Amino acid sequence: MTTTAGLPREVMGAMDARLSMPYTLTAGAATGVFLAELAQQRIVGTRCSACETIRVPAQDFCGDCGGDAHDLVIVPPSGDLLAWTVTDQGTVALVLLDGTDIPFLHQVVEGDPAALSMGARVTAVWAAEPQGAVMDLMGFALAPSEPVHAVEEAGETATPIEQLNYQMVLDYQHAYGHFYGSLFDGIKNDRRIRGVRCPSCRNVLVPPRAYCEACFVRTGDWVDVPDTGVLQACSVVHIEFIGQRVPPPYVYAEIVLDGTSTRLIHTVGGLSAEALRSGSVHPGSRVQAVWSDRRTGSLSDIDFFKVIDGPADE
Amino acid sequence: MTQIAIVGTGQTVHSRRRLDVSQAGLAREAVTEALLDAGLGMDDIDAVVVASGPAMFGSVNQPEKWLVDALGARYKPVVRVTSGGGTGLAGALQAMNQIKAGLARRVLVVAYDKLSEGALQASISTLYDPFWGREFAVGIMGFSAAYWRARMDKLGHTEEAAAMVSVKNRKNAMLNPKAHVKKEVTVEEVLASKPLCWPIKLLDVPPISDGACAVILAAEDDAAAITDRPAWIRGMAYYSEADNGPNRSMLQSVPLKVAAARVYQNAGVTNPRRQFDVAELQEPYTCFELSYYEGLGLCPEGGAAELIASGATEMSGDIPVNPSGGCMGANPIGATALIRLAEAAMQVTGKAGAHQIGGAELALVQAGGGWANLRGVAVVGATKD
Ligand SMILES: [Zn+2]
Ligand SMILES: [Zn+2]
Repeated sequence: MTTTAGLPREVMGAMDARLSMPYTLTAGAATGVFLAELAQQRIVGTRCSACETIRVPAQDFCGDCGGDAHDLVIVPPSGDLLAWTVTDQGTVALVLLDGTDIPFLHQVVEGDPAALSMGARVTAVWAAEPQGAVMDLMGFALAPSEPVHAVEEAGETATPIEQLNYQMVLDYQHAYGHFYGSLFDGIKNDRRIRGVRCPSCRNVLVPPRAYCEACFVRTGDWVDVPDTGVLQACSVVHIEFIGQRVPPPYVYAEIVLDGTSTRLIHTVGGLSAEALRSGSVHPGSRVQAVWSDRRTGSLSDIDFFKVIDGPADE
Repeated sequence: MTQIAIVGTGQTVHSRRRLDVSQAGLAREAVTEALLDAGLGMDDIDAVVVASGPAMFGSVNQPEKWLVDALGARYKPVVRVTSGGGTGLAGALQAMNQIKAGLARRVLVVAYDKLSEGALQASISTLYDPFWGREFAVGIMGFSAAYWRARMDKLGHTEEAAAMVSVKNRKNAMLNPKAHVKKEVTVEEVLASKPLCWPIKLLDVPPISDGACAVILAAEDDAAAITDRPAWIRGMAYYSEADNGPNRSMLQSVPLKVAAARVYQNAGVTNPRRQFDVAELQEPYTCFELSYYEGLGLCPEGGAAELIASGATEMSGDIPVNPSGGCMGANPIGATALIRLAEAAMQVTGKAGAHQIGGAELALVQAGGGWANLRGVAVVGATKD
């Protein structure tokens, strides 16, 4: 089974991956009022009952003294520009609104950034159609003649916005590196699975890696591994969830390929509804890879594993 | 070396969705209760350990920076620890180490997760290697069900035995005022519940919870000054094994056995079944409680089904397990391990209320994270030794 690796056909650079996750975020009571009041073009802050610090946006807790008692206040939509930086997504700015103690992180939205200066007077720019989100306050614009206004008591305030929908989309490029690169080059181009043998414990490790976890010695020879193996463990997936690749029901499988001593996580497919129901696929079942038409350089190049005849390896 | 005790605990009322507080506000609720329990203020706290699950759960990276404000912790040492389902215990161990090293005398550990905010299984799947397993991961559920299936054949962990865990823990949760789910079930109902990842069925699974827990640890002299009922930590350890190292069978957890051996030695425990009065075990699914009975030496290997069937782990048994209801009562993942520790402390100090085990003096705690490759154990007692 031991072979020389052969020259790779393809240099595997990086695998593109996207994580896209929906969230329902909770703002807390005070910040919820702040968000709700933006639609009325009012900026709500909190005045700490213990240390009198005025924070904006309104916060449930005072970062200065740790207090949670406060009054809601209406903060003027005007202030001084404390600092800014020009980015390709706009001019990010710290603005100290009149009468407050904590600078508000937002953006400058109008005018030439070259005209900005430390301490310049600015005033709020509001969205024409409020969405019930922080960007209802679009940002701040230079307003040289804007007088200094005073903080006022809030009185009646809007019902807080409790929950915000948010989608986090993160793009990654995972570098294959030498060992995964060699493995997935073989999988993609030759339908060939390769591991490495530890010179100390003699175990064959798939995926291949630089060190054996058990012995912590450098691994040695590359080894061709067959696409057949044994189910070490399996379960029948019925639930649906975000990001799922295979429509349920299907079998989640932890497979030990023949001659190896590590786990490959995949699915067992090609099963009848009756086979899924009866749980006839079990630890010890022999399986073989069913290769896909896709050549992606990932485990998706195997569509699924199918059950094959053979002695159950207990 | 100074001994260390738990001098205060606090928990939120756990629930499916807390719309009225932010993530930071949730943590603060538990801290407020723990400080009240200890009779301390934030000025008395030397350092804070924040423990929460993967940042992906709540979409907030470095959430400890929020908590500094919400806890009134500015200018104090604040670090975050994260370790899956074992997060809370790993956080407590970090607090222990700070006290042992003489860096602090009173450390606040606050653990939380607000699981209503994100996509749970998808978030957990990101713990897998993006090249090797993530594409086909089903959070931790597919994995857990698969190895339960393997333990069925080798160790006799039947669906009926696991169902009894669900029945017991859900019954116990009825007595816990902090529990999120309070509904008794029968073995038949568990067996007939909807399969999610067979053999795991709906009623083998804990709820998805918003919740927080806080525990205050203090060095020996401080503990004695703060309370006349400290819960002494007689041992605590958290061990690992290689995720995809060679020949990992996962029928029994090796790091659990290593951690238990270490902690039992520190605590002078030679017969766990007889010496412990109560146990709080973090059971992310029913099948894990069976596995832990064996890994912790409460019964021999292959004896878990018999142990649960005997009734010994019920409230009235000789080794009650999870009188709080365990994870079946509430499962805010980042907090759940610290809840086990807090509940153990409540038991040995007689503060557990309706789910108190009478006369409990020595309690066992277990928690773990990862793909069963991170496992922690602690022993808490009414006396120092
Ligand atoms: Zn204050
Ligand atoms: Zn080796």
